[in-house]
Amino acid sequence: MLGFGRRHAVGEHEADGEIERVYHEIRQTLRVTGVTLNLRALAAYGPLLPALWDALRPNLDTRAFEDAADRVRAEAVGAAARIGRLDAVGGLGLGESQHRQIQMALDLYHYVNPKLLVLTALARLGFDGGAVETRRGRAAAVELIDRGVPGTMYPMEMVEEGPADPEVRALFDDIQRTLARPAVNSDYRTLALWPGYLAAVWSRLKPILARQEYEWAAQGLGDTARALARDLPYPVPLTRERVTALGVDAETVDERLAEFERLLPKLALNVALFALDWTPAAALARSPFPVERRRFEADGGRR
Amino acid sequence: MTWRQFQAAQRLATIGDRFLSYVDQGAGNPVILLHGIPTWGYLWHGVLPTLAERHRVLVPDLLGFGYSDRSDRFDRSIAVQADAIERWMIELRVESATVVGHDIGGGVALRLATLAPRRVSRLCLIDTVCYDSWPSEMLLPLGRPESSRKLSAPGAVRLLRRALADGFASHPDPDLLDGLVAPYATEVGKLSLIRNVAALNTNHTTELTPHLPQIAVPTFILWGEDDRFQPVRYAERLANDIPGARLYRVERARHFVMFDRPDEVRRRLRGFLDIDVEARAA
Repeated sequence: MLGFGRRHAVGEHEADGEIERVYHEIRQTLRVTGVTLNLRALAAYGPLLPALWDALRPNLDTRAFEDAADRVRAEAVGAAARIGRLDAVGGLGLGESQHRQIQMALDLYHYVNPKLLVLTALARLGFDGGAVETRRGRAAAVELIDRGVPGTMYPMEMVEEGPADPEVRALFDDIQRTLARPAVNSDYRTLALWPGYLAAVWSRLKPILARQEYEWAAQGLGDTARALARDLPYPVPLTRERVTALGVDAETVDERLAEFERLLPKLALNVALFALDWTPAAALARSPFPVERRRFEADGGRR
Repeated sequence: MTWRQFQAAQRLATIGDRFLSYVDQGAGNPVILLHGIPTWGYLWHGVLPTLAERHRVLVPDLLGFGYSDRSDRFDRSIAVQADAIERWMIELRVESATVVGHDIGGGVALRLATLAPRRVSRLCLIDTVCYDSWPSEMLLPLGRPESSRKLSAPGAVRLLRRALADGFASHPDPDLLDGLVAPYATEVGKLSLIRNVAALNTNHTTELTPHLPQIAVPTFILWGEDDRFQPVRYAERLANDIPGARLYRVERARHFVMFDRPDEVRRRLRGFLDIDVEARAA
């Protein structure tokens, strides 16, 4: 049985076979330029990620899923606005291209983090047995959304995990220590492309992390994601028994998913806080990559 | 100027769904400096201040290079690059410019001078790709799709540093090499570099050969005499085919002539560019 000790996440360039297939599906279905660290971490456990993905996928290219992520995103922006702007950008000496690229990078994570949160909530519901074998009746007229990465989305570029730059290394150490994380998340690794910017936002974010309102806001986002996940149209046939049959330890899968479910609301909130420095809350509450509507009949239209 | 300082000086233009980063310094007649592969605009940091004393100097990162768009969903051939540079000039309302190109940047410059001649007021070719002089055997294996799996980002950077070093007549400064390879030190950067190599296409210069005799703008060809990547015989061919072109061989210099002989390159470039300024003053 595959234990769930910390294993090396599978990089996109390292993926082959089933993992390569799923990574491509993740990019096309979630409409995102890269595979984030939490999904890459699950890929380290052989058949787990393909099974998880195949169980979740029918929901993930539905309008309902996209709308759920949009609602989580809007709620994250509202919460971030109540916490207040970080005002981290002034005086950093960033050039115009750097400014614009940081904004594009934030748009990427502002788009994908809420989707990952709803996805994770859905996975846990399925895993807990709360999802939804009875849902098939609801899926009579499910609207599907376009596949494919939006043309202007920033690539999911990130600094290597063990960066050579001592300034970035020290920042990563601090982030890991403060968040008690085994690895530095994709968002921070992307923002580390501009070390001065990451240092500035991290120094302003760090004291906020300990505030009660921050914790409540994050919990609220998690609750919203879970509630919205319950309303998604398709069942999630990934039970503990199925995971165990794959040779993966179900308890540790559950722990890991729970850990992601705790982490992702904070990442969504953090990115909203970062982005508020650049974009007014009203604009930020809208999806940075709204998606075209397509109508399909639930069963006949599924690809 | 460090590569970080250069990066911080970059502005950004949008061209359709793509974006292009560039430095814009100085005032006067516009001069566009085009880098080659596998470098980026930082290639020109040593000549930029001198040229910007009397000219408006524009230094873009080609698409897929440096800190321009490096997403994995567009062609990076020099044909596309030339179109992008023309669209970028229109965006900046630069009607025409002196275009200086190194390596594949020279290929882009040649395409502009032959296929969009109204955009080029003067042409300077420095150790440039042309005819069937390229792609280099050394780079080609990197362009295979499987390279992205076989090679880690740090591995690609090591490979690049070794390859670049062969383009210098003497040992290059390690900080300079760090700066030249910096944009390619991530997985996205590595993949973009692989796609850039995959886009190298001899036909995009061989198809220009019939048009070279129609180039009607002043043309200066500056070449490292010991260039191993683009041997000087190609410079001689260009000098014969482009009417009135003047060739200057830089002694004891290889491909990266601007680093091997920086003072001489600055002086020669400035001499070529200042003809306009001096003519106007006269």
